[in-house]
Amino acid sequence: MTQVTTPNGFTLDNSGRRIAIDPVTRIEGHLRIEVNVDSANVIRNAVSVGTMWRGLEPILKGRDPRDAWAFVQRICGVCTGVHALASVRAVEDALGIKIPANANTIRNIMHLALYVHDHLVHFYHLHALDWVDVVSALSASPKATSDLQQSISPWPNASAGYFKDIQDRVKKLVGSGQLGPFRNGYWGHAAYKLPPEANLMAVAHYIEALNFQREIVKIQAVFGGKNPHPMWLVGGVASTINMHGTGASGAPINVERMNLITDIADRAHTFISQVYIPDLLAIASYYREWFKYGDGLASKNLLAYGDFPSKANDDSNSSLLLPRGAIINGDLTKLHEVDLRDPTQIQEFVPHSWYSYAGSNAGLHPWDGQTELDFKLGEKTRKTGDKIEAFDEGGKYSYVKAPRWKGHAMETGPLARMVIAYASGNRRVKELVDGTLKKLDLPLTALFSTLGRTAARGLEGLWAAEQLKEEIANLQAAIKSGNEATANTEKWAPSTWPREAKGVGYCEAPRGALGHWIRIKDEKIQNYQCVVPTTWNASPRDAQGNIGAYEAALLGVPMVNPSKPLEILRVIHSFDPCLACATHVIGPDGGELTVAKIL
Amino acid sequence: MGGKTTFYEVVRQRGISRRDFLGFCAMTATYLGLGPDGAGILAHAMQTKPRIPVLWLHGLECTCCSESFLRSGHPLATDIVMSMISLDYDDTIMAAAGDQAEAIISDIIRDYRGAYILAVEGNIPLANDGMACIVGGRPFKHQFDEAAKHAKAIIAWGTCASSGCVQAAKPNPTKATPVHKLVQHVPVINVPGCPPIAEVMTGVISYILTYDRMPELDNQLRPKMFYSQRVHDKCYRRAHFDAGQFVEQWDDEGARQGWCLYKMGCRGPTTYNACASIGWNENTSFPIKSGHGCIGCSEEGFWDRGPFYERLPDMHQWGVESNADKVAAIGAAALGVAVTAQLGATVVQRVFRKRKPEEQAEHKEPTE
Amino acid sequence: MKHFIPYHQLPDEGIPDSVAVYGPGIRSWHWMSALMVVVLCLTGYFIGVPPPSVLGDTSSLYVMGWIRFFHLSSGYLLTILAVMRVWLIFVEKGITYHLFVPAIWRAEWLDGFMRQIRWNLLMVSRPRRYVGLNPLAGTAMLLLFVLPTCVTIITGFAMYAEVSGHDSWQYWLFGWVTSIFGNTMDLHVIHRLAMWLIVFFSFIHVYISVREDILSRQTMISSMLSGERQFRR
Repeated sequence: MTQVTTPNGFTLDNSGRRIAIDPVTRIEGHLRIEVNVDSANVIRNAVSVGTMWRGLEPILKGRDPRDAWAFVQRICGVCTGVHALASVRAVEDALGIKIPANANTIRNIMHLALYVHDHLVHFYHLHALDWVDVVSALSASPKATSDLQQSISPWPNASAGYFKDIQDRVKKLVGSGQLGPFRNGYWGHAAYKLPPEANLMAVAHYIEALNFQREIVKIQAVFGGKNPHPMWLVGGVASTINMHGTGASGAPINVERMNLITDIADRAHTFISQVYIPDLLAIASYYREWFKYGDGLASKNLLAYGDFPSKANDDSNSSLLLPRGAIINGDLTKLHEVDLRDPTQIQEFVPHSWYSYAGSNAGLHPWDGQTELDFKLGEKTRKTGDKIEAFDEGGKYSYVKAPRWKGHAMETGPLARMVIAYASGNRRVKELVDGTLKKLDLPLTALFSTLGRTAARGLEGLWAAEQLKEEIANLQAAIKSGNEATANTEKWAPSTWPREAKGVGYCEAPRGALGHWIRIKDEKIQNYQCVVPTTWNASPRDAQGNIGAYEAALLGVPMVNPSKPLEILRVIHSFDPCLACATHVIGPDGGELTVAKIL
Repeated sequence: MGGKTTFYEVVRQRGISRRDFLGFCAMTATYLGLGPDGAGILAHAMQTKPRIPVLWLHGLECTCCSESFLRSGHPLATDIVMSMISLDYDDTIMAAAGDQAEAIISDIIRDYRGAYILAVEGNIPLANDGMACIVGGRPFKHQFDEAAKHAKAIIAWGTCASSGCVQAAKPNPTKATPVHKLVQHVPVINVPGCPPIAEVMTGVISYILTYDRMPELDNQLRPKMFYSQRVHDKCYRRAHFDAGQFVEQWDDEGARQGWCLYKMGCRGPTTYNACASIGWNENTSFPIKSGHGCIGCSEEGFWDRGPFYERLPDMHQWGVESNADKVAAIGAAALGVAVTAQLGATVVQRVFRKRKPEEQAEHKEPTE
Repeated sequence: MKHFIPYHQLPDEGIPDSVAVYGPGIRSWHWMSALMVVVLCLTGYFIGVPPPSVLGDTSSLYVMGWIRFFHLSSGYLLTILAVMRVWLIFVEKGITYHLFVPAIWRAEWLDGFMRQIRWNLLMVSRPRRYVGLNPLAGTAMLLLFVLPTCVTIITGFAMYAEVSGHDSWQYWLFGWVTSIFGNTMDLHVIHRLAMWLIVFFSFIHVYISVREDILSRQTMISSMLSGERQFRR
């Protein structure tokens, strides 16, 4: 192949110089990206390779369904809790368990706290160094930085002396010759556009955000005991409420705990609105061309399962604070219904993934998912010694499966959620999006881009911080009205369960739509399948040759210097990849996995 | 800390005076654009020991250990990374990617042979030639082996690296293998937990740096200072255990009073960790304080000691889903049947054979 | 103790003189151990599956505390008794070693073993008579009592060592057990399984003793009280 057009409308040309980025850093898990650039160093072909597999789902087979959340939670420690939430919802769905209203609110609070935390950490610690030149900050004037800071935000850490201190710390680090995590960075790269003062401000906030993020997750620790990996419970939450009586001081939720989370939520909201959002806008204003690059599937197909039910046990769009739906071919006027139970809607394909289906290449709905590990490299794979130089996208090339919604490759994540909420007429989301676009003087279509994704994440972070305060108030109000129930134990005992059951649990992880499908038989897990956000976004090609979101977004992106792949990192990081999530399978009924020997 | 001398020591050995050294610093600072204070900072940096380089590799994992590390409140993770160690490679936060990232590992191995610390998060899959985790186009095992061989010491972060954790739970499809089983001649410190407590992680590092020695380890290579006592022994709910006051079901009165979670399957009595003393997230809470039992996440093989909500773990080796008490119940039933049968048969036999000559009975004895 | 003779199968016919089989040491060991086993199994059961919660002022309640106290102190006593039992081999001599070493090397032992099984399956109408333990009883005691007791003592002290810490003598003596298992949950499970074996043994032991006392032409229960074994036709 030199030049082909995919069914979903992208032109691929792999004749130019091939570049591999492996490891792609500042992500969760192990990802490799390969691209072909043309003579003008513009990306013409992209290959997304998920390079790790942990086999969690075969491990789940035969376990107690009430334990499943703990296992699947370990799929990812960055977006910690999302798999646990999807899992308890799946088990509750299968067994027909209704959770108390307080449990729903507490889960929303924990989940919103994660949104705020995850989006903040993603922006500053996983994404910012794509835009911010740390070394350039050394030549900034602290006074001018102070002026810049005060012009964009009322944030109090804004004195010249403060920025001078930060600059000295960075100088000490750089001067020592041991740059630590900044070693071998792309400092001085021509694609860095920020003035030194903006860089210094961003570096200061990099450090501040790193110090502050640990506060946000304390909300999860209050309800779940620890973070990462807080505790969850099928049937509600384990953190009981004792607001008035004896023993309250030893109870999980009492007035002191409520005060703690209220205070943290307030401070988180302040940080997001006074630091994160102003920084986002400042950086975006220097990189306006990145509202053009990195569209890919964004302007075509977006998918969200929706989340944050305002009414317990109600997952209809009238209850969900972030709605469920799909947008096809960029038609924002039509929001398609998404049904996770419909076997014809969500299907996974494996012709280019290191798995095989018995007999056919047809897509399988997760409830009927069957997969066997089938590690085979394509014929055109290039190797030197033990090192694979280039994978062959004509063959199997990733541990990530290719999920499709009604046959469409979809993008999922904050951008999809914000656009779908926008299209469904969510007032607050509309305000946030329109206000931001107006400030930056950009059309709505600018959202379908690298920085559009990054901006949507920031706006969602602000939305989540606002909503977090609201949900805490809701919990207070419920307790005030005398409702202190947190768990429903009617169907806790396995003897109360049906002999066979199946359920689905949805969740919007910070990175996008997450679904867990479970089958329970004789009180044990018979089959467990997760289709996660990064499976959608990092998807390899399907049988028809449709490319996934990462691959599509990289096309057309110009590079200054292909051996210093800053631009690729920008595009990929805007999705916030999580590869440990994306790469897992289960055998048919957990059957034996057959493994082909490599070469 | 052996091996590496500071820049200042090197120039002094070459006969350069202190005055010349300071002049050099001032000049370098000017070149680097470090401003008027730069020279002093530079001079200080060059006179002190170089920060110990740390390579933080990721195998099969979920990054919860890195995330936990970043939660450390004392010392702050920023202070550790910027002032105490030189975290030259950690693919979760490092700026470089691809070739530039790969180069750092070979540079550190070359420049600090035997003087850097290798931190490993996650474990090493051996099945399928190690291709369940590919880094830089090669099996992670190869990268790990090279970095491990020349390390001064290895810190195995989390239960993954210490004993396998979730991907090593039965049937361990990737043959995920903990660090200490693949390393010879280099000391390994296991810091288990899923993840370990942030302040335990930074505590281990700062202990090594402050006291310039390895922490004392137990027979599972865990630092005694954090892992020698059970959660149960330090739990604030222990008084309720001793009193015999237990949560009997979720959200009951006992749960609201903060009674002991023993009956809800709490693994505190078999879990060696500092959760109940140091606490999580700057002592905000720990699982039991938040109403959920401990699941024993710092213990070897804890995934295969479930269900987490039963006091006694399942014993799969008995074929059926069973635990010690269920096995006993089956045994008791069998015993009951046998005794009843024997008693019944004895009575029947006595009634029928009453007063038969002993000799005759002896003759009837089957010979087999 | 002129009639005190080693392991011995008595002739099938006639009524032999009564013999002294159990010295005062063995007898007191037996009954004290029995008491300890009862206390240990009861308290042990409740440590694994605690009784229903007690309402009331926590600081004045010590239900699990006492259960554990009695369990741990009985555990110590049982261990001391076990040591004493070994010591008795050298003090009271005679058949006292049979509990630990069944005489499997003797042809008559195996024959007696099979014979005793047949007796219990009601396939023979008259059992043989022994001075000490019959071969089947000896085997059962070794497998269902002596070994499980050793296991409970070792795993028990290993768990104790985990509580008392690395500096304790318990850790010094039994800490190695934890490194075999890694996860001390296994210690608890094995300890409990061994407990159930001992419980089974106790039931079988009491049942068979009563049964043999009635049917086997020799005294059982009274022997362990008086030390003398008497024989019937």
